[in-house]
Amino acid sequence: MFNKLIENSTAKSPWLYHMNTGSCNGCDIEIVAALTPHFDAERFGCKLAGTPRHADIILITGPVTEQSKDRLIRTLEQVPEPYVVMAVGSCPNSCNVFKDSYSVAGPLEKYCHVDVSVSGCACKPEAIMLGVVKATEILKEKRRAMKK
Amino acid sequence: MEILIALVRILIYPGLLFVAVGGLLLAGIDRILVAKMQRRVGPPLVQPFYDFFKLMGKETIIPHHANRTAYLAAPVIAVVSLAVTMLFIPLGGFSAVSGTADLIVVLYLLTIPAVCVIVGGSASGSPYAGVGISREMVAMMSYELPLVMVLLAVAKKVGSLSLQAIVAYQFQNGCMLFHWSMIPAAIALLLVIPGEAGVQPFDLAEAETEICEGTLAEYSGAPLGMFELNHAMKIFVLTALFTALFLGGIDTGIVPLNVVITFVICGVLVWLCCSLPHAICARLRIERLFKFYWTIVAGLAALSLVLAWFGL
Amino acid sequence: MFNGLYIHFPVLAVMVLFLGAFLVVIFGTHAKNLRRVIAITAATISFALIYALIKPVMLDGEVISYWMGNWEPISGYALGIGYEIDGLNLFFALLVEATILLSGLYSLRYMERDDYLDRYYTLYLMLSGAVLGLVLTGDLFNMFVMIEIMTFAAVALTAFRNWTAGALEASFKYLVVGSAGSSFVLAGTILIYAQCHTLNMAQISSMLCGSQGLTPTTLLAFGLLFTGYGVKSYIVPFHPTAADAYTAAPTSVSMLFSGMVNKAGVYAMIRMAYVIFQAMGIPAVQTLLVLIGTVTMFVGVTMALAQHDFKRLLAFHSISQIGYVITAIGLGTALGLTSGLFHAMNHTLFKGLLFLCAGAVLYSTGTTSLDKLGGLSKKMPKTTILFLIGAFSISGLPPFNGFASKWMIYQSTYAKAMETNNIGFAFVTIVALVVSVMTLASFIKVTQSVFFGQVTPAAANAKEVPFAMRLPMWIMAIACVLGGVFYDKVLVWLLNPAASAALNVTNYIDKMMGDGYAATAGVQNIEAHGATLSFWNPVMWLILFVVVFFAVGLVVVFGKGTRGKVLEESEGQEIEAKYDSFFGGEKALPSHLGGSDLFWGFKHNWKGYFHFMQRMHSGVVNDYALWAVVGGAFVILYTFVFLR
Repeated sequence: MFNKLIENSTAKSPWLYHMNTGSCNGCDIEIVAALTPHFDAERFGCKLAGTPRHADIILITGPVTEQSKDRLIRTLEQVPEPYVVMAVGSCPNSCNVFKDSYSVAGPLEKYCHVDVSVSGCACKPEAIMLGVVKATEILKEKRRAMKK
Repeated sequence: MEILIALVRILIYPGLLFVAVGGLLLAGIDRILVAKMQRRVGPPLVQPFYDFFKLMGKETIIPHHANRTAYLAAPVIAVVSLAVTMLFIPLGGFSAVSGTADLIVVLYLLTIPAVCVIVGGSASGSPYAGVGISREMVAMMSYELPLVMVLLAVAKKVGSLSLQAIVAYQFQNGCMLFHWSMIPAAIALLLVIPGEAGVQPFDLAEAETEICEGTLAEYSGAPLGMFELNHAMKIFVLTALFTALFLGGIDTGIVPLNVVITFVICGVLVWLCCSLPHAICARLRIERLFKFYWTIVAGLAALSLVLAWFGL
Repeated sequence: MFNGLYIHFPVLAVMVLFLGAFLVVIFGTHAKNLRRVIAITAATISFALIYALIKPVMLDGEVISYWMGNWEPISGYALGIGYEIDGLNLFFALLVEATILLSGLYSLRYMERDDYLDRYYTLYLMLSGAVLGLVLTGDLFNMFVMIEIMTFAAVALTAFRNWTAGALEASFKYLVVGSAGSSFVLAGTILIYAQCHTLNMAQISSMLCGSQGLTPTTLLAFGLLFTGYGVKSYIVPFHPTAADAYTAAPTSVSMLFSGMVNKAGVYAMIRMAYVIFQAMGIPAVQTLLVLIGTVTMFVGVTMALAQHDFKRLLAFHSISQIGYVITAIGLGTALGLTSGLFHAMNHTLFKGLLFLCAGAVLYSTGTTSLDKLGGLSKKMPKTTILFLIGAFSISGLPPFNGFASKWMIYQSTYAKAMETNNIGFAFVTIVALVVSVMTLASFIKVTQSVFFGQVTPAAANAKEVPFAMRLPMWIMAIACVLGGVFYDKVLVWLLNPAASAALNVTNYIDKMMGDGYAATAGVQNIEAHGATLSFWNPVMWLILFVVVFFAVGLVVVFGKGTRGKVLEESEGQEIEAKYDSFFGGEKALPSHLGGSDLFWGFKHNWKGYFHFMQRMHSGVVNDYALWAVVGGAFVILYTFVFLR
């Protein structure tokens, strides 16, 4: 019973940690827009956490530059299980227009498993919200898998 | 049988379970109210329960620089001491445990959760937590002076340091809030509650945007959940203390109804001193916070103390 | 077996210590272990002799009077030196003995790296014997002699590690200000002798109260003695030398200073104000003591907040806690006196514990600077626990003993305020409560900068101290917890007899000078306004705590299957990223947040005050001597203006 309760709760209280790996700030602003009263991501229990230790969903924007690569790996290691990595915008998926730049080490899949990916340059807040809802489902499954 | 009753009191009502559930509900109400004031839909009422149970299911990472014992024990002791505090506070006219001069005992019990946050944060070994504990401690020094003065003003008015006597006095002479000399003290306590509970304008210690959640920076999983619970319980205990001190005279003759009324008052107080400042204020700087408490709030409390001293 | 024999115990207890001192000089110069054996044996015998007196004096309420060489009073005039042990004496003697023994045990390992240890043990036993003699004696001049021995032993011990910076300077300051204090005491004693033609305290007491009353001469004597004993208990404005001396002395000696040397001053003040002059019924005397006590506790704690050195911080806390004691005994009520005595006892326990913790840190790292240390909880986990117990006790968190006594002090000051309808006493209560929070703050500072956080280079090679050093610390830590939980027992067994002895002056005089002496002189007992003592029940509270704790624990245990795992790093060389501190994604740099300016938000608002205090604590001995004289002048002026 407790397990079930915790599983359901896991799906309903996703805390977000936002990480910028060299984004142009377009997607960052859209993430903030998703939290504003108009879209109100807190309906789903979302909360922006200040440290990876509290996070359930890691939102990653940007094409993973050489500078941010080590930081990305290090931060992801510090997140407690279960957690979901969500790529926001086209950059983490494909490096977008920055592809093959001397300073870009992306895409994100090289360094971690991406569970949800939201495309768009910049992606719409609605899309981010949908992505978060999808991510909560994955989070629930991960929690279930963790206990088995 | 007596042991059974005592256990029920300690563990269920008005002890651990009651404070935990009530506190989490009040925290949910707070979040909804803030959302409404910002024209949002807001999270469901039981969102704090979801948060708590989710955190129970996450991994707990003990960082390399942390002291294991203090790191794990601090949140538990904080929760326990708040549950014990509630036993001293009269709810609906009666407290589970009463003693003489328990006002000072309550004052000290209320400092333990803050000390636990500080020791836990300090034990986690994070530099962000170091900044956080510095702020938490200064905040504690700030609000302690007005809080002490408010308690002493009420004690002088009643002539006793016992909470039970204070409530009994209000049954006789009407609520403390309706004695005009006590109104400044009541306002002062209303301003102390957000500081003590650490909500928005006074949440410097856990400023997530500046110092990465400060004292809680390294906490994860179950201990973090305990601290969340601790935060929620603290709001409940503080508002209940306000109710006992200033609105203790409300009596319908039926104790359960009194308790329900108390809980409703607590909800209103949460709106007044947690949601409202949260929605309209920006975070203060620490030295401003200190100044605010030691001048304006302490001044209000001192006014009441002096008035009470002259028998008004 | 000891039936009736116990009247010789007090004088034997003092003699054993002095004898030990001489034996160490004679036999212990080269025999390393022999001098240890002599010192510890002397301390233990003395300890046993005094603790054997608990039964007759504390529990059966006897008063022991003992005339040296059997020089009993002739036709109502005391000629010889008398020892008189009532509850008050014995209470302080118990504190003194406990301190002596624990400090001695600690010294065995702590001092092993020093040279000239025969001198250390000699001085240690001299100091102990002097303080014990001071506390037990019933003769005013004998008291002065003991104060002199105490001062000079203390001065020499302060300079014992004379190769450290500041040790000689501190001992010189101590010498100057301490001599000023002794001179005040001597002048006061002479005036009393001129007036009463006797030096026996019981007889003086009967004379000052009865036939002669407070003449200008005795008023001057009161002012002088008050100042002199005030210097010995390091109240403001005589405190700055104490801070230097505590810091410079070896830590086992610092513990002696805070545990018994300043307690001796407090004892002398109680004996003088309550018994010899019987002045505690006079509101002006109460005001004087409470005023000085409040200022002392406030100045002590604010100065402590500004310190960068572990031992210096503790020294200022010693001053602050003595302020609590003086405030409480200055109330002149039974509850006030009881709570003051209780706090004096608790101060001996927790401050001794904290000093020994500082000593342990010094022993294993070689420094006590708050800016250099850090992360010691990883290296010295047991010391950390002991330190936390001491820190929580001194900050007055329940259920430790500091809470019980502070709670009684608040209650007594507020009861006094309500009783006299004097808002000044309410102000004292507020100051006391705020000072308590500041005490907590400065110990949080120590916790953060010494024990928690990242390991700094200065602490990298630290090791846990040996068990022989931890044993006295554990004894005091356990006493801290027990004293807080079973404080009603402490109250009944120790505090009530001590407080009632201080208030029962007629009995004190009669036992010494013969029955009916007090009545003929017209002495009456001080009317202690009967503030009824109310109990809080820490046992009940602790049961609540334990029950709730177990409930939480059960939930945790049963939820094991559902809860997330607790992960801990396995012992390895390199820190895994997962267990590193979160540092914004960077590899964590050594970034320990030291204690030097942890509470800037507080200090910023008080910068005027702190600048003023900094100017005042100039470190120049001339200034401090001036302070002592000005303080004495103030007290004398006050007595003449308000006591006439």
